[in-house]
Amino acid sequence: MTASTETLHLQHADHQAHAGAEGWRRWLCATNHKDIGTLYLWFSFTMFVLGGVMALGIRAELFKPGLQFWQPELFNQLTTLHGIIMVFGAIMPAFTGLANWMLPLMLGAPDMAFARMNNWSFWLLPPAAALLVISLFVPGGAPAGGWTLYPPLSIQAGMGMDLAIFAIHLLGLSSIMGSINIVTTVLNMRAPGMTLLKMPMFAWTSLVTAYLLIAVAPVLAGAVTMLLTDRHFGTNFFKAAGGGDPVLFQHIFWFFGHPEVYIMALPAFGIVSQILPTFSRKPLFGYVSMVYAVCSIAILSFMVWAHHMFAVGLPATAQLFFMFMTMLIAVPTGVKVFNWIATMWEGEMSFETPMLFAIGFVCLFTVGGFSGLVLSIAPIDIQMTDTYYVVAHFHYVLVAGALFSLFGATYYWLPKWSGYMYNERLGKLHFWWSMIWFNVTFFPMHFLGLAGMPRRIPDYPLQFTDFNSVASIGAFCFGLGQLLFLYNVISTIRGGVGKAPAKPWEGAHTLEWEVASPAPHHTWESPPDEALVKKGLRAQSLEHDHE
Amino acid sequence: MNAVAQGNRRIAIRLGLVAALMFSFGYVLVPFYDVLCKALGLDQARPEFATATATALRLEFDTNVAAGLPVTIETLDRVVAAKAGGIVKARFRIANTSGEALTIRAIPSFAPVRAAGLLQKLECFCFDALKLAAHETRDVTVVLVVAQTLPEELGAATLSYTLQPA
Ligand code: HEM
Ligand SMILES: [Cu+2]
Repeated sequence: MTASTETLHLQHADHQAHAGAEGWRRWLCATNHKDIGTLYLWFSFTMFVLGGVMALGIRAELFKPGLQFWQPELFNQLTTLHGIIMVFGAIMPAFTGLANWMLPLMLGAPDMAFARMNNWSFWLLPPAAALLVISLFVPGGAPAGGWTLYPPLSIQAGMGMDLAIFAIHLLGLSSIMGSINIVTTVLNMRAPGMTLLKMPMFAWTSLVTAYLLIAVAPVLAGAVTMLLTDRHFGTNFFKAAGGGDPVLFQHIFWFFGHPEVYIMALPAFGIVSQILPTFSRKPLFGYVSMVYAVCSIAILSFMVWAHHMFAVGLPATAQLFFMFMTMLIAVPTGVKVFNWIATMWEGEMSFETPMLFAIGFVCLFTVGGFSGLVLSIAPIDIQMTDTYYVVAHFHYVLVAGALFSLFGATYYWLPKWSGYMYNERLGKLHFWWSMIWFNVTFFPMHFLGLAGMPRRIPDYPLQFTDFNSVASIGAFCFGLGQLLFLYNVISTIRGGVGKAPAKPWEGAHTLEWEVASPAPHHTWESPPDEALVKKGLRAQSLEHDHE
Repeated sequence: MNAVAQGNRRIAIRLGLVAALMFSFGYVLVPFYDVLCKALGLDQARPEFATATATALRLEFDTNVAAGLPVTIETLDRVVAAKAGGIVKARFRIANTSGEALTIRAIPSFAPVRAAGLLQKLECFCFDALKLAAHETRDVTVVLVVAQTLPEELGAATLSYTLQPA
């Protein structure tokens, strides 16, 4: 089976030769989905630390008014790089890494569909990250016009912008290849008996996310290519003086950008939909409606992009259209939240660390969803756009949403990955610590935004001082707390608090728990037999045909 | 190659095609956007609005230099006819007459003041500070969009720039 799941190209190289490679070659030439998943996850954590240090740089400067640490130019570079690194370096690769690790295990496949392409998808990431870091040191510095790269600033910027554009090309290519792998694996490599509507929810959300990425990552690549040719090759896509239009960039960017928001949210939905049933000891409530919700969110996400542009002077009809379409997304999202609550309802809940993060996710993602609804109201958004209210909103969905789900996923599957149990007390401490300081950091930003503090500024008027100081203290405590996570993960890999059984969570019924812990290098080389698949489906109340 | 591998390859090729199509789609959005703006009447800046019969405004450019600044500025298009709905472009030549690098900024002002609402700057050398090397001479431009209706009594307007040290 391993030999037959060869990649499209490179047929000539000997696959088996790498299987037993040790040391650095094991990683450089990795084709095993578990090794590649591990690489993705460590890369993503590294980027999280890098982007986090930049965030602390921003918060240090904003602790009090005036310029303390950085000149405005460098401050803007930190903001821009923080955004790009967190989005493309930390969150997205983490989800791809999880999909790599877990999809074959959950679906009963021996590996991802294209093992060598998988290797490429990963190894494009470190050079892209290097380009972004190097851009800080070239004349003119890193891009400073925000992660959205709006012209005219992005056309006028120095060569750091070119490096960022190439980095985005590489990141996009990596995403597209990773997504092709995910879609193919899900569509074509499931164990017999595992029909599409019986897959674990995480497989569904990974599938839909991968489709979204294949649809929009190329559009972003096109947009930054247009920037590049405007900068150097005399085209006038976005240059007003030459007859182009900077607002056109915003349309193209957000055609990518809004689906991108769901690319960072849907996999989180999937993770939470695995964790909540396990620790509620009940099947996921409303499985089919969850699938429909995921699909409708994905489709709607293509029709709302201009809610990021209410202030550019859209005609009233367009504003109304985008406003109502955006509000419509609240319906499937609400369905999901209600289903999660119904899953927990009257369940035999226990509160291990993954469950805590999943519940934290449901509560705080909902807060972010509500502030999103507020922003979707065009006349209100015109007041609030580009204020700290927006910063508060998207950190509720990205940090308390995407990031918390990733922490939950790590604690949930770490026993399977490492073969050891993590320290539960430390895990709970990590959760409560993050929960409290997250809110201390980001909740005051709502007030700052409502009071009119613009985002992306290194200095501010005196009346904003108190809430900013609170947010900065919160940010440093939050950041510090992440060392607990790192410590817990490393000590688990080194033996933790003891060996983990194959199925450490009694309420878990998906296939990954049927293989040993740690998961052996090769799993499901022959697909799980139908009786085993059926047993799991029955426990999840999925034995009947939904089709 | 077995059946699974063949199926995989077929799916991957299709998805690769979708990705390629979506890359082109980004570019298709460019003409589509133009068409849409024209159809919705959003586009305020198209030369074809400025037909031969459109009312015109006599637009004059004036330049000054702050006392003591070793810089000269020359108007290359001193007077232009700004037609309703059209686009006006004017060039200036700025020279640093000193032996040292300088950073300057151009401060614009309209007379009469209400002309500012009728002539909107799409692109202007006054948006940014200008860095001039020693003895450098540079041509710069301003691009203005003219309102689609001009009040008849307003026969002429002046746009004046004063160079200041930045
Ligand atoms: C770990 C704690 C984090 C802190 C303390 C933090 C803090 C900040 C701050 C202070 C800003 C600048 C706001 C401004 O001046 O406009 C910012 C921007 C941003 N952050 Fe975070 N952040 C954190 C994590 C994340 C994560 C996990 C993501 C995930 C995607 C993220 C995505 C962004 C984005 C997209 C921006 C906008 C950048 C821009 O304006 O171009 N942040 N963050
Ligand atoms: Cu959006």
